[in-house]
Amino acid sequence: MAVIAEPVAKPISRYRFILDRREVLEAVLVAPAILYVLLLVGLPLLLAVYYSLSAYTIYNPTWTFVGLANFEQILQDPTFLDTLRNTFIFTFGSQLLGLVLGKFGAFLLLQPFPGRKIVRALIILPFAVPVALATIAWQWMFDSLYSVINWTMIAAGIITREDAPNWLGNPYLAMLCIVIINAWRFFPFAIVIFLAGITAVPQDVIDAATVDGAGFWRRNYQIILPMILPIMAIGLIFGIVFTFTDLSIVFLLTMGGPGGATSVLGFAGFQTGIVSGDVAHGAAISLFMLPVLLVVVIFMLRFIRRREI
Amino acid sequence: MSTGKFPRVTRRRFLTQTALTLAAASAPSLSTPFISKARADEKSLSIVQWSHFVPEYDKWFDQFAKDWGTKNNISVTVDHIPVANVAARAAAEASAQSGHDLFGWNGAGGAHLYRKFLVDVTSLVEATEKKYGKVSTIGRQIGYNQDDKTWSAFPDFYINFPAMYRKSMWDEIGMKPDTWDDVRIGGAKLKAKGHPVGISLGHSNDPNTTWRGLLWSFGGALQDADGKNVVLNSKETVEAVKFVTALYKEAMTSEVLSWDDSSNNRYLVSGIGSMIVNPISAYRTFQKANKKGADDTFVMAPPKGPVRRIMGGASEFYGIWKFAKNKEGAIEFLKYYADHWPEAFKASEGYNNPCFANLVPKPMPILSNDPTSTPADKLAVLQDSEQWSASPGYPGPSWPAVDEVYNDFIICDMMAKAASGQMSAEDSVKWAHGQSEAIFTKWHGKT
Repeated sequence: MAVIAEPVAKPISRYRFILDRREVLEAVLVAPAILYVLLLVGLPLLLAVYYSLSAYTIYNPTWTFVGLANFEQILQDPTFLDTLRNTFIFTFGSQLLGLVLGKFGAFLLLQPFPGRKIVRALIILPFAVPVALATIAWQWMFDSLYSVINWTMIAAGIITREDAPNWLGNPYLAMLCIVIINAWRFFPFAIVIFLAGITAVPQDVIDAATVDGAGFWRRNYQIILPMILPIMAIGLIFGIVFTFTDLSIVFLLTMGGPGGATSVLGFAGFQTGIVSGDVAHGAAISLFMLPVLLVVVIFMLRFIRRREI
Repeated sequence: MSTGKFPRVTRRRFLTQTALTLAAASAPSLSTPFISKARADEKSLSIVQWSHFVPEYDKWFDQFAKDWGTKNNISVTVDHIPVANVAARAAAEASAQSGHDLFGWNGAGGAHLYRKFLVDVTSLVEATEKKYGKVSTIGRQIGYNQDDKTWSAFPDFYINFPAMYRKSMWDEIGMKPDTWDDVRIGGAKLKAKGHPVGISLGHSNDPNTTWRGLLWSFGGALQDADGKNVVLNSKETVEAVKFVTALYKEAMTSEVLSWDDSSNNRYLVSGIGSMIVNPISAYRTFQKANKKGADDTFVMAPPKGPVRRIMGGASEFYGIWKFAKNKEGAIEFLKYYADHWPEAFKASEGYNNPCFANLVPKPMPILSNDPTSTPADKLAVLQDSEQWSASPGYPGPSWPAVDEVYNDFIICDMMAKAASGQMSAEDSVKWAHGQSEAIFTKWHGKT
């Protein structure tokens, strides 16, 4: 008589059992993202903090702890205070200009006209073009000899060559130039933010306001703007953080000149820490931005939360 | 039985398949050690250096390095990076303890800053000195360590900064820009005729080099010969700054405040500028753009100041990282390169100037007789440029504090602030002295 063996139950792997638990699996799946942030953001930040509190230079790579001495030294430097002021002007000037242009552009793009979809796609270009390429193009526009802006004004008889503005040679105009370029880069992003916000405002709210006699300006500033403020604030956070930490436009266009008039924190930190090899002071200059950004971001996030409630 | 549908993706299935995919993706890296072992016999040498202002030189160098590699069974790669990226690349390689074997530095910074990361090449430099004569002062100021008499880097060449002027314009006023006073007086006359002098007061290498030269020619300097003290705040410096203010107002236009390194080249080529101070790349560019204009452009030693005739220069040198994979190959390559240096000189069209006394015997090819120039001996004056060229630390050594003053454009800004009327000459010098002293104090504590 044939004997049929009883099927032997396969032992269940302990790992399978663990991964069947929802909370464990969640942790496993989220872990790569957390690890990524810790390794690529957290660790460099902590390293930068330690650099700023040490005597580390490329010449003498020592980890000797010096406390806040680096911060004290850079605060005593009058040039650093100018750099700090420049950074604020550059950041908030370009954000303000970008927002105004963005809002204006969004209203234009809300109007129906032939080719609107193409224009909407093209308007993103300044945001998508690599910063190096865009800045070089602007450099030619502001060039002292071949500026197309000056050439146009001279050709139109508005100015003579002798009176032509020295865009990158005058401290105020040079600052204006870097503000304009950054605003030009930021405004497509602002348009997208405004378009998303404005189209999300319920039409019946606007209709009701119109019926109640609200004109364009009142609808705009007392209904639409307050309703889209949270989304605008998110856009602004991105803009401020990116601009505060940016050095590319200054590095490519002015190298902080003329006479330090366009030197910003990112650029000064790079020059001191990387080019000159004083990593500790470079880190201290760069980290000056951290508390400012932290305060701005916390303030804006609190504001957004309150608005949502 | 197949239902003809895709099987449901369960959690377990997802995890199993993800694990299998990851394993498959990592298979090549697991096999890397075996491949590396197989390739162990095939050596390599990697070089990184700036993109030369004379593009033909890069083509020559790449082929030269490749040919050397073929002869020695070494695979050579040469990477060229923009000059502005050299410092950042060096910092990245030093921090990562990984990168190229041979690193080519340009201008300020480099060997003395990265000293602890670089192989001591004293024996190589001494052997080359025996063969080709002593290293010039400008070659010594960058790679040589005064304290322990060692070399951190191998001097390659230096770039000189002669004056270039439009002969027909200066002939018209019956002058030649032989002294700085001539430049100011003649420049004022030519500015009135629509042909100003063009020397940048912006933030780049050219003004950093040119205004240092003018400062030294007036007897001023950033530091003393030992490199211990800042000596900027002196009567001579104030005189130099006052002179630059007058030169700017009388002979130049405000355009120079915004210039980068290529602006003065364009100014000369445009036919507007009557004189610039620049390496001969400006002249070479002019030759390609407008032969007639280039023929009218003459090259001369930099203008003489009240004290001496001197001008800043930029040294180039090669360092071998301590973490380089092929240190021996790098040293052998440098020996071979030194033995063939006259070829490099020709390939650079006379732009690269030798750091060793007899590396290119005089009369030097190209400079003594340049068939592309009219007259052919136009560049002959450059053969003796080591007599009037100095690196940023002059009269002392170049060291990290000197580099930082250079990288912060303090000397340029000292001149620009006074010239543009932001400060008086005295205040501007005091400001620059204070800035420099803070940097020196900081580095004295660290070196």
